[in-house]
Amino acid sequence: MKDIDKTKEQLIDELAEMRLRIAELEAGKTELKQSEELFRILFHSSPIGIYIAQDGRFRFLGHQFARITGYNEDELIGISSLNLVLPEDRNAVRENAVKMLKGERSSGYEFRIITKRAETKWVMETVAPVFYQRRRATLGNLVDITERKQTEKELKQIMAEMTCSNTELEQFAHVVSHDLQEPLRMVSSYTQLLARRYHGKLDGDADEFIAYAVDGANRMQVLLSDLLDYSRVGTRGKPFKVIYCEDVFDQAMANMKLAIEESGAVVSHDPLPIIMADEGQLVQLFQNLIGNAVKFRNQEPPRIHVSAEKRRNEWVFSVRDNGIGIDPQHAQSIFEIFRRLHAREEYPGTGMGLAICKKIVERHGGQIWVQSQSGEGSTFYFIIRATEGESP
Amino acid sequence: MNGQTVGRPIEILLVEDNPGDVRLTVEALKDGKVYNNLHVVKDGMEATAFLHREGKYEDAPHPDLILLDLNLPKKDGHEVLTEIKEDPMLKHIPVVVLTGSESEEDILKTYNLRANCYITKPIDLEHFIMVVKSIEDFWLTIVKLPSEGRNGR
Repeated sequence: MKDIDKTKEQLIDELAEMRLRIAELEAGKTELKQSEELFRILFHSSPIGIYIAQDGRFRFLGHQFARITGYNEDELIGISSLNLVLPEDRNAVRENAVKMLKGERSSGYEFRIITKRAETKWVMETVAPVFYQRRRATLGNLVDITERKQTEKELKQIMAEMTCSNTELEQFAHVVSHDLQEPLRMVSSYTQLLARRYHGKLDGDADEFIAYAVDGANRMQVLLSDLLDYSRVGTRGKPFKVIYCEDVFDQAMANMKLAIEESGAVVSHDPLPIIMADEGQLVQLFQNLIGNAVKFRNQEPPRIHVSAEKRRNEWVFSVRDNGIGIDPQHAQSIFEIFRRLHAREEYPGTGMGLAICKKIVERHGGQIWVQSQSGEGSTFYFIIRATEGESP
Repeated sequence: MNGQTVGRPIEILLVEDNPGDVRLTVEALKDGKVYNNLHVVKDGMEATAFLHREGKYEDAPHPDLILLDLNLPKKDGHEVLTEIKEDPMLKHIPVVVLTGSESEEDILKTYNLRANCYITKPIDLEHFIMVVKSIEDFWLTIVKLPSEGRNGR
């Protein structure tokens, strides 16, 4: 009896247990249905073209996949998935898919497909191994990147055209300035010879005409030689190397010794850094900026200060003066070629100095700008990238 | 002065295709203190003929100094320079390369070909005259040149 009671109790327990299991299974079934529903919604509403393939053939497709390819689901089920791929891309697609399924590749791969309307589209695909109806399958995700590819292609073309036209422009400037020198040398030499030999021997008009011709030829010569200098920033640039800006400063000062002494200028500087640059061009840059500060001075002797401040991974150099200053409305245009703000009689020069500065700074990947008010001095700033592990 | 001014005139060969430059050189040499004969040829072929006394140059003198433009028709200045410096009869003649080119490649190339000096034609007349006079001074009155070839006529 005792044993029977025990069995009965056991049976009751087991029954309860079974009921629980059934309830759990029921719940699981609902959950499964729900998750299948979720899966279906995801599959069809996703903006990514999703498919499942088995043995290389389409088994299940999302609506977006149909939209990208232009085919209906029925038209593709059972068809080899490679059939959609442009024949010359097929090998690469097969290789990449295998790699990705094995886990040897994590990023998507790009290839072209042919749509039902015989258009070629660029797509990017990722694949993952899954089980579908208890058998191994491939889950694929396809994104239409045709537009991006088109933009990339156009951008590349524009870049190529720009590089080309830049090079052409530089060559043009070089050729123009170089080849024009020769005939100009004739004009200028012979007008000078006229002046030398016949000055005071013809009449007053002749002397005046010859003087204007000589002056014009001389100015033209300076313009051409400045244009040549400008074009050489790009064509004659040297590779960047480690340079000491203190040395660059000293060199620029030595080159301008006379102008500085004559003007009574006081040029001071903070400690200057070591950077990667084209030394010759940096000397020219310092020289042009300090030279301008000396040239555009007030009645009082020029006081010029050069400094450099490190901001993140770049050096901001500044050249500050107490000169005549610049009206802020000209702050941009002064960096254009042959731009002058003053009459030649007031301040001589071709207006090429700052254009050359800008080109040098840009060749070093930096920027140049000015902060100034008329009558209150100017500060020119330029940025040069800092090198790793340098001293201040 | 080393006596050349009163003796035999100095023979200068100018190889230059631009008549403007020829005339300028003539004008510059006019004021010079050295008594000279300037001979002008207009291209590299003529220069070679002159130096080897070929054809119409049969009676050409042996030059004491050659002024050579680089940019020449037919045979360019580099070729002429190479020929001169490879010829045992001619290689002692000082060659001044006088050109409009400021290209570093040109300069290096001509020095490698043993040009005696390289001068860029100055754009300014005063400078041009000064340069021609300095050439005259340096090569014809300061430098002592070998006398061989001087009596070659």
